Amino acid sequence: MAGKPARPVNAIDQTRRMLSLVTYLRERPGARVGDVARAFGITEDELVSDLDVLPMCGTSFRGGDLLDIDTDGERIWWHNPAALGEEAAEPLRLAADEATALLVAARAVSTLPGLRESDRQALLRATAKVETAAGEAAGASARLSVTFESEGGVFADVDRAISERRRLWIRYYSPARDEVTEREIDPIRLVSVGHTYVEAWCRRSEARRTFRLDRVAEIRILDEPAAPPEIELRDLSEGLVQPAAEDPEVVVEVGPGGRWVAEYYPHDSADELPEGGLRITLRTPDPASLRRLALRLGRDGRIVSPQDLADSARQAAQEALAAYDAPQVPGSRASGAHGVEDGLYDRREQGR
Amino acid sequence: MAIAKAERLMNLALCLLGTRRPLSKRELRDSIEAYLEAGSDDSFNRMFERDKDDLRELGLVIETVENLDGEVGYRAGRDSNRLPPITLDAEEAAALGLAAKVWQQARLAGAASGALQKLRAAGLPEDVDPYEAHGALEPRIPVHEAAFEPLMLACRDRRPVAFDYRKATAARPEPRQVEPWALECWRGHWYLAGWDRDRGAERVFRLSRITGKVRSRSAKFTADVPDVVTVRETVASWAGESADRSALIRLRAGAGYPLRAKASQVRELGDGWDELEIPYGHGLDAWLVEFGPDVVVLEPAELRADVVDRLRAVAKG
Repeated sequence: MAGKPARPVNAIDQTRRMLSLVTYLRERPGARVGDVARAFGITEDELVSDLDVLPMCGTSFRGGDLLDIDTDGERIWWHNPAALGEEAAEPLRLAADEATALLVAARAVSTLPGLRESDRQALLRATAKVETAAGEAAGASARLSVTFESEGGVFADVDRAISERRRLWIRYYSPARDEVTEREIDPIRLVSVGHTYVEAWCRRSEARRTFRLDRVAEIRILDEPAAPPEIELRDLSEGLVQPAAEDPEVVVEVGPGGRWVAEYYPHDSADELPEGGLRITLRTPDPASLRRLALRLGRDGRIVSPQDLADSARQAAQEALAAYDAPQVPGSRASGAHGVEDGLYDRREQGR
Repeated sequence: MAIAKAERLMNLALCLLGTRRPLSKRELRDSIEAYLEAGSDDSFNRMFERDKDDLRELGLVIETVENLDGEVGYRAGRDSNRLPPITLDAEEAAALGLAAKVWQQARLAGAASGALQKLRAAGLPEDVDPYEAHGALEPRIPVHEAAFEPLMLACRDRRPVAFDYRKATAARPEPRQVEPWALECWRGHWYLAGWDRDRGAERVFRLSRITGKVRSRSAKFTADVPDVVTVRETVASWAGESADRSALIRLRAGAGYPLRAKASQVRELGDGWDELEIPYGHGLDAWLVEFGPDVVVLEPAELRADVVDRLRAVAKG
């Protein structure tokens, strides 16, 4: 399971939560700490810190009582539920931001092609009910929208393989080597961050790999059970491409037309150059895979280092040009130097 | 030691919710310990105004009533603050639980959990672990752009904004004044659609190209907000997905799978090369160059010239 986004303690979030908490606890004397934390989507520590604040609170005007709430670490007891009148204990209306956050997310999830039909129906019913309950607060939610991309058929097969714990055979396209390879993978989970990916144990490389579903050329569910080794799942909230400190460094200089490189590649630094250019330093386990980038950039940029990467791009361009100079049959030529796969980068949505 | 803000906000909220008649500022100040310790009138007043705003931010409707003596009273009435009855079954609850977890932006993640917590307090069933119920699916909505939050608030409140925006091919950012309509996330990137005041036309902006701060303007919108705002179509045309012509290329056998996947026709030439007909839209030249010596453009001449031009630039080094 991916880690939760780390959130600093926020007084507004905590107040919001405590207001719901008192309503919830009032109905459930002796509630278990673990159950309440789970119901509220918080850690037990967060819950305990709320329980430390609540005894300092009350409808204190004219000497009303403070809330006498305590816990022995296992159960939560409220000794004077009457301290909170009916009025203050009722569930609260949704705020505009709350309605927006929940509704936009629900609408986005309901468009995921891989969602089971029964789950989609449940989500659509729930969305309609929340819209009604939110009333006017739901209005602003139309100003935010999210579309997940994923390949329907491939998604359904991967999803099924995961729930049935079965191995998959795929033909997979690696842009870095421009080739399609066959492999068997034990799928672990599906992740949607813009594109949809399956994280899996790759039997060929005996390593954890992430595969983008729109690069799966063909897929089959095998009869063998999946047996991925026990591995700790990474927190992917910082992005799927997480270069390691020991990866080799690549330096690229781009003009204004190549600034998109800094938007697409996680990088260590991007320093402004005169005339709107950038000098970008990034790390990748396999610099040769960036030959495509060097070719794509054309006059908008160049590889500064490593030298062999710059050379291989130049060589590939010269080789390609030869076919235009001699317009006969462009075959029968030794193929250019190819990089090793990394399979993660795609530059096709550059925009302008 | 200073009293924690959450404690102060909680006490103010409970006072306002619990009272049957509006409470004056003075009464509230006498009732809440943090306000008693606030010191001067000025610092109390500032604190009180900020606290009211914060409570409104989390959804509390606070009514302001003036009594016969002209004194202002505050109250969070039952009718305006109660969640209307809502009954969700276990499946619906699990589905919402999954949805509430997709935000990776702190403010929206907090708001989504807050919504779910309010629904829990109202009796939302809680037995099912959303991940168990939904298999292995983990959708995430990424938000890395600093401009997101101020623009989200400006869209919500229909407030014009100003920011510096650098077009993909421009050397320098330019100031833009925009009436923001809607934000949309597509393929993991956020875009803003709105009315560009200086150009007097609808425009789509990519959030990652906004440089510096998003500044709020106090004026009202001058252009009508359309019923349907289309962001995706505009972005798709940038990405060359609205091809209206076709091109003829030669591709080395075994290479260029994505080109093959898009091809309307593939002919094997038998000499280690294939001939493909592919859609020709914006950006095709840059894409074809990525394949280096494995692609040769045959037609049209314009595309062939663009590709040769790009290759020459790289060949020179």
